[in-house]
Amino acid sequence: MRAFDYAMRQAWASLQRSRASSAFAAVAIALAIIVLGALLLVTWNAQRLVSEWSSSAEFSIYLQDGATSEQRGAIEALLDGSGATAGREYVSKAQALTRFRHEFSELAALTDAVGDNPFPASLEVRVRPDAERDGRAAAIVQRVLAMPGVADVRYDREWLGRLSSAVRTIRAAGLAIAVLMAFAAAVTVAAVVRLGLYARRDEIEIMELVGAPVAYIRGPFIAEGFIQGGFGAAVALAVLLAVFVSARAWWASDIAGLLAGAGLQFLPFRLCAYLLAGGMIVGGLGGFAASRHAG
Amino acid sequence: MIEARHLSKLYSRGLYALRDLSLTVDKGEFVFLTGPSGAGKSTFLRLLLRQELPSDGAIVVNGRNLATLKRGEVQEYRRGLGFIFQDFKLIPTRTVVENISFVPEVLGVPAGQRGRRAFQVLKWVGLQHRMNAYPADLSGGEQQRVAIARALINDPVLLLADEPTGNLDPDLSLEIMNLLREVNAGGTTVVVATHDRELIRLVGRRTITLDHGKIVEVA
Repeated sequence: MRAFDYAMRQAWASLQRSRASSAFAAVAIALAIIVLGALLLVTWNAQRLVSEWSSSAEFSIYLQDGATSEQRGAIEALLDGSGATAGREYVSKAQALTRFRHEFSELAALTDAVGDNPFPASLEVRVRPDAERDGRAAAIVQRVLAMPGVADVRYDREWLGRLSSAVRTIRAAGLAIAVLMAFAAAVTVAAVVRLGLYARRDEIEIMELVGAPVAYIRGPFIAEGFIQGGFGAAVALAVLLAVFVSARAWWASDIAGLLAGAGLQFLPFRLCAYLLAGGMIVGGLGGFAASRHAG
Repeated sequence: MIEARHLSKLYSRGLYALRDLSLTVDKGEFVFLTGPSGAGKSTFLRLLLRQELPSDGAIVVNGRNLATLKRGEVQEYRRGLGFIFQDFKLIPTRTVVENISFVPEVLGVPAGQRGRRAFQVLKWVGLQHRMNAYPADLSGGEQQRVAIARALINDPVLLLADEPTGNLDPDLSLEIMNLLREVNAGGTTVVVATHDRELIRLVGRRTITLDHGKIVEVA
């Protein structure tokens, strides 16, 4: 405990003495954390939205105009017995036309010009999230497609898959960049701590000669890196939060329209804590690397 | 106390700093090591401080072969030593009393205890009135007295001094030597490396003269 107390006091004193170079090291860590944090912010929100959209998956079964009530009954029996659906709704031709005229009022005149109702009757089916994940929903779609009375089935999950894959790719690429930046930040911290180490070489020599424990000799340098890292990470989180809040306020209406009402959120407390800890670890490692020259 | 047996120290370019050196220093003895620059005096002290390892032979202190000590044992061994350098090696950002209490501080001694002991040794070297001064505000003699106080704060059994009067005038040099004699009178073994023949003559203790890493005279 005394060694820890000594290390923290000495580290703080050293940071006070070399404010400019310490700030430089903290900025290097902050930049790495900002890159990683921004990436996490984007991918975490994207992943969350993908999950949300996946859990509310639906497919539409368009019936042929001549489909009989028996054929429709057979389709509904298959859906109900599959255990893959969470509900279904029958939309008649007339309801489909009304819905179109309501949702696309500026195009409503076109339907008058056509004369006959061009919209097919359909069954809108809500898929259970587990059936969506384990592929049962896709299998049901294939079976329904082959049934008599069915004109088409729309179950377009490909774009969600592509989005998910893009999120994973962005995350992997960003992580690689962040790891590189974290390494560069650790090297910067090590260089700054080594400057302090050089300035205190007589002190370190005396400590070695009087038989001071390693914790007393190296501890202050590790603590110095640790504090620089923590400070850098805290600054990075503050910058990210400020940018996030401003961006959300600036583009609130655009974002709401794009995401169909689903809101963007800042990183959860757990991820913020991980980023803070990450900054401290990167700084601590830099300090540790430098302290190895201290004996 | 100290026994060197056929001790050699060879540096990388094939230069011998010490060559087949054998000597003993008894417990409680005051010994001078002298000789010209490059004779091997400082190398012998570095071997005693366990800053370097012998290339050949053995150096044994209180029955412990220094070459075979593990890291933890080196730390424990050094806690029984005191050392004084020609350039004092005081920490410029710390006051006199902080320089002295720095040693027990990094050995984990509680604040109250180290404060009392620091004041005791400071009083012993006669600098209690300068306890809050910084090294830059002290004369050379005062700085060396602070360094002696720092070396004594742990009650060492062995005190090593490498040219302790090298930066001081003759009067101050004698003053420092008198302090070291007092330390020795308290039972501490003292080994002083110096090339100052006049000082050795005035103090009058056993003197081992080295040249090119070998003992050339014991007087």
